[in-house]
Amino acid sequence: MEYIVQTENLSKSFGKEQAVSNINLKIRKGEIYGFLGPNGAGKTTTIRMLLGLMKPSSGTIKIFQKDVTKDRINILAKVGSLVENPSYYPHLTAYENLEALRKILGVPKSRIDEVLAIVRLKDAANKKVKGFSLGMKQRLGIAASLLHNPELLILDEPTNGLDPSGIIEIRNLIKRLPAEYGMTIIISSHLLSEIDQMATQVGIVSKGKMIFQDSIEAMRKSAQPKVFIKVSDAEKGWRSLVAHGIKAEHKDGLISLDECSDEKVAHIVQILVQEGILVYRVEEEKRSLEDIFLQMTTGEQLI
Amino acid sequence: MIGKLLTSDFLKIKRKGLWFLTALGPIGVVALQMVNYGVRKDYLLEQSEDDWGYYLLNIHSFTPLAIVLGIAILTSFMASIENETNAWKQLIAMPVSKFTVYLSKFSVLAILLLLSSTLLSLLTLAYGVFLDLGDSIPYSEIMKYGFYPYFAALPILALQLWVASVFHNQGIPITIGIFGVMFTYSAYVLPDWMIWKWPSLMNEWDEPLMNVMLGLGIGVLLYIVGMLDFARRDVK
Repeated sequence: MEYIVQTENLSKSFGKEQAVSNINLKIRKGEIYGFLGPNGAGKTTTIRMLLGLMKPSSGTIKIFQKDVTKDRINILAKVGSLVENPSYYPHLTAYENLEALRKILGVPKSRIDEVLAIVRLKDAANKKVKGFSLGMKQRLGIAASLLHNPELLILDEPTNGLDPSGIIEIRNLIKRLPAEYGMTIIISSHLLSEIDQMATQVGIVSKGKMIFQDSIEAMRKSAQPKVFIKVSDAEKGWRSLVAHGIKAEHKDGLISLDECSDEKVAHIVQILVQEGILVYRVEEEKRSLEDIFLQMTTGEQLI
Repeated sequence: MIGKLLTSDFLKIKRKGLWFLTALGPIGVVALQMVNYGVRKDYLLEQSEDDWGYYLLNIHSFTPLAIVLGIAILTSFMASIENETNAWKQLIAMPVSKFTVYLSKFSVLAILLLLSSTLLSLLTLAYGVFLDLGDSIPYSEIMKYGFYPYFAALPILALQLWVASVFHNQGIPITIGIFGVMFTYSAYVLPDWMIWKWPSLMNEWDEPLMNVMLGLGIGVLLYIVGMLDFARRDVK
């Protein structure tokens, strides 16, 4: 399948500071792409470049197979977005805020009521946004991004500032969109748990670089427990295990194994002992997704 | 495209006091003459044979100040609508070109100021008739003093809009605006090339039309420079 969003060596620098370097995004139709990274990793800068708000220092961006720098207006007609803090006009009501955007987009007036209903703001439609809570402003921002039924929805930290029930509501809404409207969604967050519950694909950025991009299952797999065996001669031990048809890896005097039923561990230890290798320790390491995320983004070993 | 943006921009200025200021400017200018003529009408009528002409000169002594001050306030209000919650990013992420966004902002302001000028001409005429300054009403002179300063002030509008939309700190355009008002106040001693002198319609050759032409020419030029710079910048 062809990619809806594809960037090639996308980079952006502010003066000497490299905010984004060589990011290659690949997002297919109908996906919920979780764009994950700690604060200041370059997520928002990347999103701003996708929307043509910032010009890349180098690299290309293709959305719907068209170049953003050349076809910006045609592309944006099919893209809805919410970037960072919600933008709104505080002196206008929720309805008027959407009306100001609707006039530009040229969609029928009925869409305003529809999107207000989707984010459950109908009761507050005629109140000035000045008095809204952050959660309501955030929801208004999402309503604005849905006005023109976009094919691609880009949401930057959409659950920021929402209370737990608001988060669940938005999460359910976001999960619903690809199935019901065939939308593709890019959602950025610094919270792994958030992405874990919504996304089908994940991209992790740290310090402006993409350090992981794959399906959420692939990421979960790496979170499965591992067994480490410390032995007198890891190289020799590893060879003998492989000779017995057991998949293993060795590193720094440790043999590591993915699968770890009790019987299997017992079997492995037996093999090692028979080969005359001294077994010092058998350890199991459980890693949560959070651990993996932290390890990836900080570049430190958590073992 | 520009039509859609214009209606959207006119919706956004609702409740922001821009319409009020648009009316306040010309009303203020004429009201000052109401006080002036109310207090010492007989004395003022003795000053010149041409009562209408003298009255228009009195009106015109405050018009440039009102326009320059009005431009500074209106542009700053206009930009603050987008600056307040950084709605620029939402606006520019819409399927619109940055040129059109800028043109729409400029057009709204130009239309408001044009309405101000029209209102000024009407009020000037009305109060002049009320004062009973003579039967031969100089319509063309009234229009001249109503609209010439507007065209001559276009470069200031272009400059202030540029500064107000590029800098998120509104202190900068306001400061420039205040200096502009001070310059306009001392227009008499300013050299002819200063744009803040132009709304006063004074120049070396004593030809007001010169200021109108300069205003239009340099106004368009400054507008284009501002628009290109606005489009070039990254949206924060």
